[in-house]
Amino acid sequence: MPPHLKHALPKAFWVAGLALVFLLLYAPILSAVLFSFSADRFPSLSMSGFSTKWYAQVLTDRAMLEALSNSLTVAGITALIATALGFAAAYADYRFRFFGQKAVLALALLPPTVPLVILGLAMLAFFSRIGIAGTLAAVVAAHVVIAAPFAMAVCRLRLAQLDETLETAAQNLGALPHSALARIVLPHTLPAILAAFLITFAVSFDEYVISWFTGGLNQTIPVAVLTTLQGQVDPTIHVIGTLSFSVTLTLVLIALAVVLRQSGGAMSKEETS
Amino acid sequence: MTSSAFPARTSGRRFHFLFNRAWQALWVLPLPAWLLLFFAVPLGLLVAISFWSVVNYRLTPDATLSAWRYVLGLDFLWASFWRSYGLSMASAVAISLLAFPASYAMAFVAAPRQRLILLGLAIAPFFTSYLVRIYSWQVFLTEGGVISSVIQAFGGKGESLLNTYFALFLGHATLALPVVLIMQTIALANVDRTGISAAANLGARPGAILFRIILPAARPGLTLGLLFAFLLSYAEFVSASYLGGGTFQTLPILVTDLVRAGQQWPRAAVVSLLMIASLLITAFVTVLWAYREKG
Amino acid sequence: MTNTHLKLAGLAKSYGTFIAVEEFSLDIAQGEFIAIMGPSGCGKTTSLRMLAGLETADRGEITLAGNRIDQLPVWERETPMVWQSLALFPFMTVRENVEFGLKMRGVAGPERRRRADDWLERLGITTYADRNVARLSGGQRQRVALARSLVLEPKVLLLDEPLSALDAHMAIKMQGELKKLQRELGITFVYVTHSHSEAFSLADRVVIMNAGRVEQIGSPQDIFLRPRSKFVAQFVGGISLLEGKVSGSEGSKRFLDTRDGKVRLSHSSGLAEGAAADLAVRADRISVTVEPGWGENEIACTLVSEEFAGAVVNLHLATASGHSLVAQLQQRDLEQLDASIGARVYASWHSDDGFLLESAQQSEPGPKVRAA
Repeated sequence: MPPHLKHALPKAFWVAGLALVFLLLYAPILSAVLFSFSADRFPSLSMSGFSTKWYAQVLTDRAMLEALSNSLTVAGITALIATALGFAAAYADYRFRFFGQKAVLALALLPPTVPLVILGLAMLAFFSRIGIAGTLAAVVAAHVVIAAPFAMAVCRLRLAQLDETLETAAQNLGALPHSALARIVLPHTLPAILAAFLITFAVSFDEYVISWFTGGLNQTIPVAVLTTLQGQVDPTIHVIGTLSFSVTLTLVLIALAVVLRQSGGAMSKEETS
Repeated sequence: MTSSAFPARTSGRRFHFLFNRAWQALWVLPLPAWLLLFFAVPLGLLVAISFWSVVNYRLTPDATLSAWRYVLGLDFLWASFWRSYGLSMASAVAISLLAFPASYAMAFVAAPRQRLILLGLAIAPFFTSYLVRIYSWQVFLTEGGVISSVIQAFGGKGESLLNTYFALFLGHATLALPVVLIMQTIALANVDRTGISAAANLGARPGAILFRIILPAARPGLTLGLLFAFLLSYAEFVSASYLGGGTFQTLPILVTDLVRAGQQWPRAAVVSLLMIASLLITAFVTVLWAYREKG
Repeated sequence: MTNTHLKLAGLAKSYGTFIAVEEFSLDIAQGEFIAIMGPSGCGKTTSLRMLAGLETADRGEITLAGNRIDQLPVWERETPMVWQSLALFPFMTVRENVEFGLKMRGVAGPERRRRADDWLERLGITTYADRNVARLSGGQRQRVALARSLVLEPKVLLLDEPLSALDAHMAIKMQGELKKLQRELGITFVYVTHSHSEAFSLADRVVIMNAGRVEQIGSPQDIFLRPRSKFVAQFVGGISLLEGKVSGSEGSKRFLDTRDGKVRLSHSSGLAEGAAADLAVRADRISVTVEPGWGENEIACTLVSEEFAGAVVNLHLATASGHSLVAQLQQRDLEQLDASIGARVYASWHSDDGFLLESAQQSEPGPKVRAA
């Protein structure tokens, strides 16, 4: 709001709304962290004591460690492929005018709007037909589909800030296309590529529906949580949650710091100019 | 591509042209190729499967409308369709209203630097352990859980809040709030400040500025936020199961049940396609409305 | 032109049904300073981009020192460009920017540095060599852009509105430097601009383009004093136009029959009796008086407005038939002219100062669209 103007409702109202939303977003996370250190089996406000026994239990659980290894493998490979594909598509959209460009863009933005249950179902049917259902490769193939649009969006946003004439200017000075790309476009886009890698890693690491449908016996961490959720109250979920929160929150916050710092100029132009 | 009146060129030009095409294809093709193979083909297969049949618990290629006839004739399908649709729409509206003051605060009260940090903190949970957060809500809402303990401490009855619409709504909000906050905040932050000042200069009071300048200008972003809240809530099935406790039989639950219990692939495919159709129609109408121009 | 160095022959470029350049031919001599100007969308930038290989021409040929270059990809053309946005590489230092083209040509490190430093010194930006280009002033950035292209020792330098990012004061200063540099180096400059003052003060020859076609090519004086078409006359400005028909003659002089009466012509360029023609008279050649009978050609007018332009004043006049004329007077002449707005005055000029435009055909500015 321009400084000389008043808000329609007092500032306190809007700030209270902000506080409420952040409470809703972070209360479940904080409570999971809190109860992961509780000595009690049943989480309640009257905690009898502090304990790390649930951590010990999770970290010695072979099934859980295997799930962790599966999750890291899937997320790592997914992030590599999704980032590469996402960058390529973002660069293509930035650099070239080609037939069907809008169609490609629409196709790339479609996967996040299709319910994961339906994607999981369709992919399970497809992977069974081609005989890779129940493998981690199937999970990766599917995760790339849902993660690549995020990578593309992050890279495309960054490329939008690159003066389009720079690459042609480099060619005009004698640079071949690949060398103009490597010397002009890549250095500029590198932070976004890193952010895309972290975000796609987090998307894959946290995805449970498709992994559950197509992963078969190869459980990932979220699938393990889902299975536990269907059973009895289990305090180890809080431990797994705390560990996953620390991993994904760190990744995502680093990624966001990178992305937001670049686009900071664009977002706040009207006030800082 | 650029011209049909291309006169004959030397081989140098021809090579250059092919090189350009190959270089371009290297960047254009990979993502669409991957999406065609692992997204479009599976969805196409799902359409095909809806016309297949199940013989002796085995899925068999066929060309029958029996799954369609069966599913469309189910009363409880339509009941759960409208329940799913209505509950998700209600959640979407409620989430948008809940998010608006916060988005307004980020866009207009916070300084630009603070806004970026707040936005980062708002979107981060979207990528973090949704399941564990739902489990946390269960702990909050259950009988003898955090909320009921607090209510009891104040002399209330402290019953379980699970299996209520409030619980389901919390689940939907947990999922969709980050996305709605981002879309609303960006829409509001991009409202032209000069326009706001101009309105004030012409005598608009703060209330009029909010309702006649800011909201109309931010309408596309606000509407897209609503749409995404709907899409996410509609597709969500964990909170319907674990917070709603099966009180709310929604379409995604129906889909998983059809496959897991009884290998009813064709029927599950039909329900899925109905869901996609209703999503597309809703998205189409909403986007049209969001970008509708006056006059 | 005998020593043609850079030859553009019949270049054409369309985008779908939009014709950006309909036909562009130009022979440029070694060391010539060519300015291409015209309204936006006239095809001047597209022509330059075809020269640099940034656009593929639909038709036509480009030869540089006798070699066809239109088939070469951008990176082999040896026609470096100074961009409107400057297009400096933001994550490189000044020196790295200048070295870039040499690096692409495989010039070894020490040699590259020596040559880059030479040019940094030549353009007076040695002090900023290790600075990020983002932290330079407009004029300094301009010099980096020039150094980055000139270090390649090109035969031709392309400039696309290079001064448009500078403030007016700096732009005038850079104009002088550009001209000096071009003379010293003897490099051919092809300079696209929409600024009259840049084109007329810098170029050896000016190309005026309109709607994808070349309207006139000539020295600045040529174009200023003798615009060939109505479009060029209007584009250059300060010229009054009278429509009429050629009719009758008296000795060597002929007459043009306008709606405001007959006027004499001394150059009739062989037009037939009865042909439609436009007469052009420069504003500084028109005299204005309150009494009639002062000049050879005289038209009664109403004084519509006065436009103060420093040492001179432009008087806008309307004839009875609705022609509008512009007369440029010195300030002191105006003081002697006892006429207020709305007064009846007489505009007159010498027959030698009026000239007929080549064709009366319509050449309206604006993009042309080919019938699909």
